[in-house]
Amino acid sequence: MSALPKDKPQRKEKRMGKAPSEGGHGHKAKDVTSRPKDSISTVSYMDELGHHDDNPRMAVAMENTYRMGPDKRFSVPALTAILKDVLTSYLQEEKYEAEWARQMTKTLCEVIRARVKELGIPRYKTVILVHIGQLTGQGMQISSRCLWDAANDTFASYSLKNSSLFGVANVFCVYFE
Amino acid sequence: MGKQIRRWLAQIVTLPNPTVLFFLAKTAFAVEEVSKIIKESVESAIGGNAYQHSRVHQWTTTVVEQCLSQLSKLGKPFKYIVTCVIMQKNGAGLQTSSACFWDNTTDGSCAVRWENKSMYCIVSVYGLAI
Repeated sequence: MSALPKDKPQRKEKRMGKAPSEGGHGHKAKDVTSRPKDSISTVSYMDELGHHDDNPRMAVAMENTYRMGPDKRFSVPALTAILKDVLTSYLQEEKYEAEWARQMTKTLCEVIRARVKELGIPRYKTVILVHIGQLTGQGMQISSRCLWDAANDTFASYSLKNSSLFGVANVFCVYFE
Repeated sequence: MGKQIRRWLAQIVTLPNPTVLFFLAKTAFAVEEVSKIIKESVESAIGGNAYQHSRVHQWTTTVVEQCLSQLSKLGKPFKYIVTCVIMQKNGAGLQTSSACFWDNTTDGSCAVRWENKSMYCIVSVYGLAI
C-alpha cells in the first residue's frame, strides 16, 4: 500500500523534468536522417547557446517610438576593421588542428560579437558567422544572400589565409524596426 | 443564475484565445519548416552530382536563392540571412560557428549539413523578426 503513493509523484517529476528540454529552444540538436541515397544531411539549431536566458524575461510593454529609421547606422569600414583586427591577431600565426579550430571559431564569434556591441549602435540585431578551414588544395565556395531592407541593413566580410588554414568572418547587421 | 453566468465567463476566459494563437504561430521561427526547405533546395540543386569546380558557383547560388524564395513564400514577418558553403571532400577540415545578438524569443537559426561522396554542403539560415 505504501509503495503506490510514493511511485506516483516520482513519475510526475520525471515528466516535469523532461518537459523543458523538449520545448523551448530545443537542445536536441541533431536529427540524422539517413536515406537509401548516398547523401546524408544533419540539422542543427540553437546549438549550445553561449548566452542563454534561463528564466525568460517578461515582455515589457513600451511606448511607441514613432521612429521610421535608425539614428545611427553601422559603418562597413569600421566593421571590416574589427574583423581584420580579430582574424589577424588570432589566426595569422596558427596551424590548423581540428580541436583547436572548434574552440577558435566559437572564441572568434564571441570576441567579434563583443567588439561589435562595443560600437554601441542601438536597435540593431547582429549575426556573426566564422569559418575556419584547412588548406589542402580543395575547392570551396561560400555564398550568402539576404532578404532584408538594403537601405538600413548591412554586412561586412573579411577573409584571411596563411600556409595551413583560411578564416572567413561575416557580420550581418539587421535593423530592428 | 449569477453563478451560472460566472461559470460561463470563466470558461470563456480559460479558452485559448484564437487571435493570440494565430499571432504566435505567425511570428515564431519554425525550424522544422525551414530545415525542410533547405533540404529540398539542396537536393534539387545538387542532387546526385559529384564535385565539379565549374558548377559550384551555380550550385551555391541556386541553393541560396531557392531557400530565400521559399522562405519568403512562408509570408512571415522575418528578415532572412542565408549562407551556403560547398567544399570538396579531400580530408580537409572545416569548422563553422556563429554568434548572434538578437531576441531569443522570436528569432532563430537553422543549419543543415549535407554531404555526398565528393562534397560537403552546409546551409545556415537566420531568421530575424521585424
